[in-house]
Amino acid sequence: MKKGIQGILLMILLWTGLFVSSDVVSAEDGSALKRVQDEGVLVVGTSADFPPFEFYAEVDGERQVVGMDMMIAQKIADDLGVELEIQDIGFDSLLPALEARNVDIVIAGMTPTAERRKSVDFSEIYFKTFQNIMVRAEDEEVYTSLESLKGLPIGVQSGSLQEGLAEQIEDAELMSLTNLSDLLLALKTNRIEAMVMQGPNAEAHAGNDEDLHTFVGAFEMEDDDAGSAVAFRQGEDSLVAAVNESLAEIAEQNLTDEYLAVAGEYMAQSEDSEAEESGFAANYWDYFWDGTSITLLISAVSVLVGLILGFILALMRLSKSLVLKGLATAYVEFVRGTPLLIQVMFIYFASGLVVNLPALAAGIIAVSLNSGAYIAEIIRGGINSVNKGQEEAARSLGMSKKEAMRHIIFPQAVKNIWPALGNEFITIIKESSIVSVIGVGELIFQTRVVRSISFQGILPLFVAMLIYFALTFTLTKLLNFYEGRMNHD
Amino acid sequence: MIKVNHLKKSFGKNVVLKDLNEEVSQGEVVVVIGPSGSGKSTFLRCLNLLEEPTGGEIVFEGTTLTGLKEKEMNQLRQKMGMVFQQFNLFPHKTAKENLTIAPVKSKGVNQMEADNKAVKLLDQVGLGDKADAYPASLSGGQQQRVAIARALAMDPDVMLFDEPTSALDPEMVGEVLKVMKDLAKSGITMIVVTHEMGFAREVADRVLFMDDGYIVEQGTPENIFTQPAHERTQDFLAKVL
Ligand SMILES: Nc1ncnc2c1ncn2[C@@H]1O[C@H](COP(=O)(O)OP(=O)(O)OP(=O)(O)O)[C@@H](O)[C@H]1O
Ligand SMILES: [Mg+2]
Repeated sequence: MKKGIQGILLMILLWTGLFVSSDVVSAEDGSALKRVQDEGVLVVGTSADFPPFEFYAEVDGERQVVGMDMMIAQKIADDLGVELEIQDIGFDSLLPALEARNVDIVIAGMTPTAERRKSVDFSEIYFKTFQNIMVRAEDEEVYTSLESLKGLPIGVQSGSLQEGLAEQIEDAELMSLTNLSDLLLALKTNRIEAMVMQGPNAEAHAGNDEDLHTFVGAFEMEDDDAGSAVAFRQGEDSLVAAVNESLAEIAEQNLTDEYLAVAGEYMAQSEDSEAEESGFAANYWDYFWDGTSITLLISAVSVLVGLILGFILALMRLSKSLVLKGLATAYVEFVRGTPLLIQVMFIYFASGLVVNLPALAAGIIAVSLNSGAYIAEIIRGGINSVNKGQEEAARSLGMSKKEAMRHIIFPQAVKNIWPALGNEFITIIKESSIVSVIGVGELIFQTRVVRSISFQGILPLFVAMLIYFALTFTLTKLLNFYEGRMNHD
Repeated sequence: MIKVNHLKKSFGKNVVLKDLNEEVSQGEVVVVIGPSGSGKSTFLRCLNLLEEPTGGEIVFEGTTLTGLKEKEMNQLRQKMGMVFQQFNLFPHKTAKENLTIAPVKSKGVNQMEADNKAVKLLDQVGLGDKADAYPASLSGGQQQRVAIARALAMDPDVMLFDEPTSALDPEMVGEVLKVMKDLAKSGITMIVVTHEMGFAREVADRVLFMDDGYIVEQGTPENIFTQPAHERTQDFLAKVL
């Protein structure tokens, strides 16, 4: 058992070694640019809850990530002569995804702060911006300056430039959340008094929500902190140079104004569809439907794969071989002793170093590996719960260990395993929401998207909650039905 | 047919069988009696290797049962039927399936043949009409009769019984003992651990008295029950008779 754990630790060390060395090794000789052009695809990471820079909208009946940054990305891809592929990932995970080679570059309204420059390289600044304070409309007269916010609870997006700027508000009590929609909801529900937000983004929100009011904050900023730039892995100078060329053209021709105007139209379009009054659920049904399908897909595949893996692990744990037993025990204990969140991120980022695994596949693999460990325990428990006399009776009739397991013990164990397996399925349906951190479009992820495009904080959460409940409740009833049919004694 | 030489068995520090020597010949019916904890069950379980002896040897039909390979052990067990105190029927199988599963899966008998034989054996134990019943719907006595038929379905040379009537309600003891008596008449070798002294007296060729890991005394039922030589045998019989 100790050996097994050491093996896993060693594996982790090797992986992390790869992380570190990959940063150092990439000596530049034009290979980065060549790689992108050879592959014919530029994979751009972004975090699509940031209008007017990146957000979802319907384009020719299809949902896409649009916005100023995406048009810049398209221009860069066109200039390079390659296809553009967008990957929507949580803002926090963007730079890890970049370093782990899940994406080629990051365009996400990202400010090239000194802190970030330690781990990645940046292009020239392509968009100068200002920073705003967002308050409730009713407080318009009360909060008019940074001074007026002294000592109050202030919300910022975690890991953002604004998090640093908020320190300039005297004695501010900072509340850092990953998600802007959550922060806006916190503001509207009086949990915080104000937020620091990127200027155009704050204006987009205030313009769409009469309960909000925003004004420019008089922050002291470094030059670098006053704009957005494209992020690269360190040392990929040829790619940086190529992108800078495209950015220079954009600046020359003032294309950002044009791009922002187009983004504004998309935002207006999503408002229009709201104005149709066809109801919230009808408007965003597609998002919830997609999310539900993916949640079910992840859960079903993970339970199936987990079942096979769990079965093998359970047999290993019940076997006489100390090596097999130790390996299986180490695996089960390790997986059960670490959070699924970390496993998901680990698989996604670590796999990015070797093969470019789509986020959905990485998510399914992580959840499957995780459920395998839990299902192994369920199966083992089910087998152990079969009366010892059953095995003895079978063996006394001359059945081999294998035959006794297959014909006598396992069929009885299934009756104990089945309900627990059903519970595991239900758990996975709920827990699989964790894969939203790597940008898999399951139900929680889509809920986040709906919150950002509908400018509604609570209603999407409520709808998601109802869907989850409908899924788990139906499943429970279904399982009870089959469980009832299995009992003939 | 079965020869036991200096058989020893301990569980950790607990020495349960200290030094057993015994020989059972073809067709003999041997009844084992003795106080609780004296090692009777352990003795039976050592005979068909459900427990691995820690010392001594057992010779069965000319084969020494130590250091056998897994496969040889399975073949050997096919020749020794065992009936348990708790029946241990397979609850997910009907009575008939309980009888056919091992012959079909382990012995390679074809299903039809096994089915026919199962029906016959169930008839023999008086349960011809219960072939398709699941164990849970049978009484204790009926379950134990199915269990006896199940062991017989493998065509064993020896039948081992470990207190087959101890878990039964008193009114059901008779039906099981009757099946066992019929079986004894058929000439099969039997080793029976039981507290049913009436059965021992009537059916046994020989009675063994075990205490504290030894076979203290043995002889015909006549001898053991009417003039036991050892004080411990006398004490025990005084309590149970
Ligand atoms: N698997 C085991 N592990 C450890 N000790 C055991 C095991 N099986 C039996 N024993 C011990 O061996 C001793 C003899 O047990 P055994 O079941 O053979 O007695 P018995 O004569 O059959 O008694 P009873 O009349 O109560 O059935 C007891 O002390 C018991 O605790
Ligand atoms: Mg016993």
